[in-house]
Amino acid sequence: MTSLSEEVLLVVKKVRQKKQDGTLYLMAERIAWGPEGKDRFTVSHLYADIRCQKISPDGKAKVQLQLVLHTGESTTFHFANESTALKDREAAKELLQQLLPKFKKKANKELEEKNRMLQEDPVLFQLYKDLVVSQVISAEEFWANRLGGINNTDPSPYNNKQEVGISGAFLADIRPQTDGCNGLRYNLTADIIESIFRTYPAVKQKYSENVPHNLTEKEFWTRFFQSHYFHRDRINTGTQDIFSECAKQDEKGLKTLVTQGVKNPLVDLQSLEDKTLDEGYGICTTQPSTSNANKSVKDSSNSAIIKRFNHHSAMVLAAGSRRGELASDQASETSSTDGNSRDSDFFQPPVKKVKLQEAIEFEDLQRENRPKTVPLNLKKSDRYAHGPVPLQSQQYTTSQDIINSVNYIRHEMASYKPSLTQVLSSTAATSAIAALSPGGVLMQGGAQQAINQMVPTEVQGELKHLYVAAGELLRHFWSCFPVNTLFLEEKVIKMKSNLERFQMTKLHPFKEKIQRQYLSTNLTGHLEEMLQTAYSKFQVWQTRRMMRKT
Amino acid sequence: MKLNIEGLLVYFPYDYIYPEQYSYMLELKRTLDAKGHGVLEMPSGTGKTISLLSLIVAYQRAFPLEVTKLIYCSRTVPEIEKVVEELRKLMEFYTKETGESNNFLALALSSRKNLCIHPEVSSLRFGKEVDGKCHSLTASYVRAQHHSNPNLPVCRFYEEFDSVGRQVPLPAGIYNLDDLKAFGRRKGWCPYYLARYSILHANIVVYSYHYLLDPKIADLVSKELAKKSVVVFDEAHNIDNVCIDSMSVNITRRTLDRCQTNVDTLQNTIHKIKETDAAKLREEYRRLVEGLKEANVARETDIYLANPVLPDEILQEAVPGSIRTAEHFVGFMRRFLEYLKSRLRVQHVVQESAPQFLKDIFEKVCIDRKPLRFCAERLQSLLRTLEIADIADFSAVTLISNFATLVSTYSQGFTIIIEPFEDRTPTIANPVLHFSCMDPSIAIKPVFQRFQSVVITSGTLSPLDIYPRILDFRPVTMASFTMTLARTCLCPLIVGRGNDQVALSSKFETREDFAVIRNYGNLLLEMSAIVPDGIVAFFTSYVYMENIVASWYEQGILENIQRNKLIFIETQDAAETSMALEKYQEACENGRGAILLSVARGKVSEGIDFVHHYGRAVIMFGVPYVYTQSRILKARLEYLRDQFQIRENDFLTFDAMRHAAQCVGRAIRGKTDYGLMIFADKRYARADKRGKLPRWIQEHINDGSLNLTVDEAVQLSKHFLRQMAQPFRQEDQLGLSLLTLEQLESEDMLQKITQIAHQT
Repeated sequence: MTSLSEEVLLVVKKVRQKKQDGTLYLMAERIAWGPEGKDRFTVSHLYADIRCQKISPDGKAKVQLQLVLHTGESTTFHFANESTALKDREAAKELLQQLLPKFKKKANKELEEKNRMLQEDPVLFQLYKDLVVSQVISAEEFWANRLGGINNTDPSPYNNKQEVGISGAFLADIRPQTDGCNGLRYNLTADIIESIFRTYPAVKQKYSENVPHNLTEKEFWTRFFQSHYFHRDRINTGTQDIFSECAKQDEKGLKTLVTQGVKNPLVDLQSLEDKTLDEGYGICTTQPSTSNANKSVKDSSNSAIIKRFNHHSAMVLAAGSRRGELASDQASETSSTDGNSRDSDFFQPPVKKVKLQEAIEFEDLQRENRPKTVPLNLKKSDRYAHGPVPLQSQQYTTSQDIINSVNYIRHEMASYKPSLTQVLSSTAATSAIAALSPGGVLMQGGAQQAINQMVPTEVQGELKHLYVAAGELLRHFWSCFPVNTLFLEEKVIKMKSNLERFQMTKLHPFKEKIQRQYLSTNLTGHLEEMLQTAYSKFQVWQTRRMMRKT
Repeated sequence: MKLNIEGLLVYFPYDYIYPEQYSYMLELKRTLDAKGHGVLEMPSGTGKTISLLSLIVAYQRAFPLEVTKLIYCSRTVPEIEKVVEELRKLMEFYTKETGESNNFLALALSSRKNLCIHPEVSSLRFGKEVDGKCHSLTASYVRAQHHSNPNLPVCRFYEEFDSVGRQVPLPAGIYNLDDLKAFGRRKGWCPYYLARYSILHANIVVYSYHYLLDPKIADLVSKELAKKSVVVFDEAHNIDNVCIDSMSVNITRRTLDRCQTNVDTLQNTIHKIKETDAAKLREEYRRLVEGLKEANVARETDIYLANPVLPDEILQEAVPGSIRTAEHFVGFMRRFLEYLKSRLRVQHVVQESAPQFLKDIFEKVCIDRKPLRFCAERLQSLLRTLEIADIADFSAVTLISNFATLVSTYSQGFTIIIEPFEDRTPTIANPVLHFSCMDPSIAIKPVFQRFQSVVITSGTLSPLDIYPRILDFRPVTMASFTMTLARTCLCPLIVGRGNDQVALSSKFETREDFAVIRNYGNLLLEMSAIVPDGIVAFFTSYVYMENIVASWYEQGILENIQRNKLIFIETQDAAETSMALEKYQEACENGRGAILLSVARGKVSEGIDFVHHYGRAVIMFGVPYVYTQSRILKARLEYLRDQFQIRENDFLTFDAMRHAAQCVGRAIRGKTDYGLMIFADKRYARADKRGKLPRWIQEHINDGSLNLTVDEAVQLSKHFLRQMAQPFRQEDQLGLSLLTLEQLESEDMLQKITQIAHQT
């Protein structure tokens, strides 16, 4: 059992477990304990299985550490080295403290996933109860091929989580509080810092440049809160401020964005006008404030606010879509560089054409081109929900077919003429009807289907569960064939014993219960048949194996 | 479907039709039948353009001799292109239905900037540069010199077009701007001149207002268009301002300085030419004696600077002797310039009429009215003779000469205002001479006189009767159509009070009031929490918006709004605003939601549509009155009162309400669209304001939504938005606001339609 390649992080000697002296090993992925003088571990827990650790209070005679597992079991270690017991335990505790959270996430996720599956799927839950809780098979076995299926078939939802955008108001969430002595206190969380970095790459760059060599983290954020990012009406004048450079960068970024122009020609305000009046013509309603000098400080701070709000919104928007679009961005980048020169109009028309077509379209004036559908009109919705389910796949007819056939029938009916000369004689008709009525000659077979009326619902439910459980076990059993590895061999033997156990603990009590109530009906016959088939298969396989061995 | 509009077979390229489209076509047909002018209002998003095109094309096909051409004028380049695309759809439908390709030629015309394919010229960014560069490559004397000196660059596209392009007319079809360029590239012809040449024989021309209304351009481009044309001004709610703009001139000290250098250059050039090539000047003199008529038969590329005055009035006479020789003319200009300079040296505001100005100039510097009138023509002739290549440099002197011609031609409808400084900065001298047109009918008059039918149409033309008055014409039809709706998809609310009962208004006295600003902020904040996707908010002016934004920022309102939506704000820079707009749309598109703060009368409010989720609510903060302290406006109001008996207040309210309607109308672009329209000012509740909104908005304002508090408005909006979020299918509309052909032909439906139409 010991795998020597494992890295051992901590070894503590003289640790007792179940009143036995031994050594505790903390390794990269698990914690293990082996009794003194033996070469194997009798206790071994993966970190992922550990829910938490508990320690005995200081001052107690015994210095102990307890590990509580997710399954509810617990293991207690007693540090018995008189002189260093406390120190030993502290060391183990510290290390565990560091290690456990790393595995916890993984474990939790798995647990959560299992929990979710059980909650979402009542059948599975019932199965779980039948098989695991009643200890027919172990939990591990139960999950082995289910979780495996999840993890292998669609790992995507786990590996790349959906990208979460950034709240537009993340700066507003930092509410300054006065700290009582003429100062302000800002509360920053890791989320906010991440939002700031994602929205303003320039700040991130500054951060990595300056922290921690030039500034402490605290100083950095203090300056940030003094900068224009936080006070958008501030006009940057101080050159020694590290963020004034950011302001310039932002400005530059904004300018490049502006010069790149817009892709959608319908929103390009610059090319909206066909023929602008020459300079000097027209009535200028707004006074052209050509000179910037006569702009008051207030005016320019106002326009700074406006500019920065636009910039902020654009950056937030970009941060939300940045990662996903990296690849496509590059593609559009290449075309947009070409698109900049006005001569390459070849590139522009597609967007323009599409936008123009969109703009002139009247969807409601056009006849819809989709195939006609029949609206589903339910008078009693339970009847729809509990209606008969087709047993085998059928040739489905499209709505169009149904409409056509209805039309056809209607047409037929309209032109229907009964040919009264060729009808049945009344006596023959009566006898046919009698034969087809319930209780008639031809309706004898119908009595059998009344099983659902004969058996009370709770028994039905129980039977259903049995079927499901048996099906699950049989699925495990049959999936072992053809038995070509050692592992499968083991498994098939185990599964057979599982099946037998199932028959003993579940099926037989049920059968007896039924027999006590309904002597005549044999509800479990089919189940037994299935199990019998499995047994005989197993028998055949085993004899064949024996023969091969001998 | 094929419609029967009072005996006219109209092909309509859709399977269904809105009832109002049918009534619109009916009215339009009556206008054409009567060969008169019409004013038609129909909400945007009800397919105005396609109705217009369908009917007029059908009319042209049925009566090819009655209506030879459709001239469709729109405002912006995207609008123009949209019209052509709709036309293409119509023509495709014709081809499909009739099975034959008809020989219709329709094309869009735009400025050189949008049509040039010359690699060097088209890479220039500004329209003026493109025009100037083009002129330097295609002017007739440049080309003449090119013959003797092949090294001189010319435009090969123009040369190619000039040598072969004119013989074969443009093949029939629909040409949008890009199609023209593609065609030009294929053939190696200049698309711009090709388009200008082709509009003469095209069946449908789509271009911008200016080509018809601005006399400087109209004379050049649209002079020879057939009289039997139908002219349509779409989106015409601002047509009076376009007219006025095209006839007004502003002169600053900088203009005069540049003019001075221009005149000096002219003088030097004359001097040089006199030494080398005196014959040329003598030749010009001879031509001028013979009269302008001959002088004006020049090649199209030369007539770059056309006369600002309307054609025919001036060409009958010969250029007066006093300015006939080049030196005399330059001297004359010098004198005129000095006079203007002296006028700009005033210390107080001067306002006078054109005759007063002429009298003064005669007394001071002995300049007569007659030579002034010929200034523009004379300058053109001189520039041509001197073979000035880069005409853009001479824009200042051209402006002055145009001013001279205008001021001496019109004794009425204009005013001259000289302001020594701007009102806001009385200490800084910045004298401006405004020569402003007050009568929009002057510019549009020739259009009404010349073409047999002129149709003025828009989504917001209310009140209808004011347009015929200020444009001075007599329409044969005037109608306003409402939008028939299967569900009430617009929800106009008038918010008059804050939650604290403070009256909300943008009027001057309470403009700085913090309570009002705070309540406006609250309104936006609350709306941002309940409205999905995009909200557009309009302010009355840019300065007002700046102040409000600053004070919202100080009060922390903007930050709270940011929790719900991203904020984008219109700036005075067009490129920056375009970017903000695109980001705004992106934010609406990806579901984050955004708010656009914008300005009424700005470019956004006039040219950008906020369809569907791009604008689920429009908030109009205040009543967008024009800045009433401006002297130009005062003069105009006075003129309107004296000349047209329109009271000042009526006009101001009319002007404010049409802009408010424009703003809120941006959100509803069709019957499947829906949106809130919030008028946040208590003055909207008054009958005189409300009554000037378009009928299709007015009829949805009920008494219960007249003076709401912010909370009440939020409740109503919630209810409305929840209703609108239910699925809306075609079947819901059918028979009410959407008709099939059979439904349209049924007797009682026709009756219903006429009933709706006759409510006006």
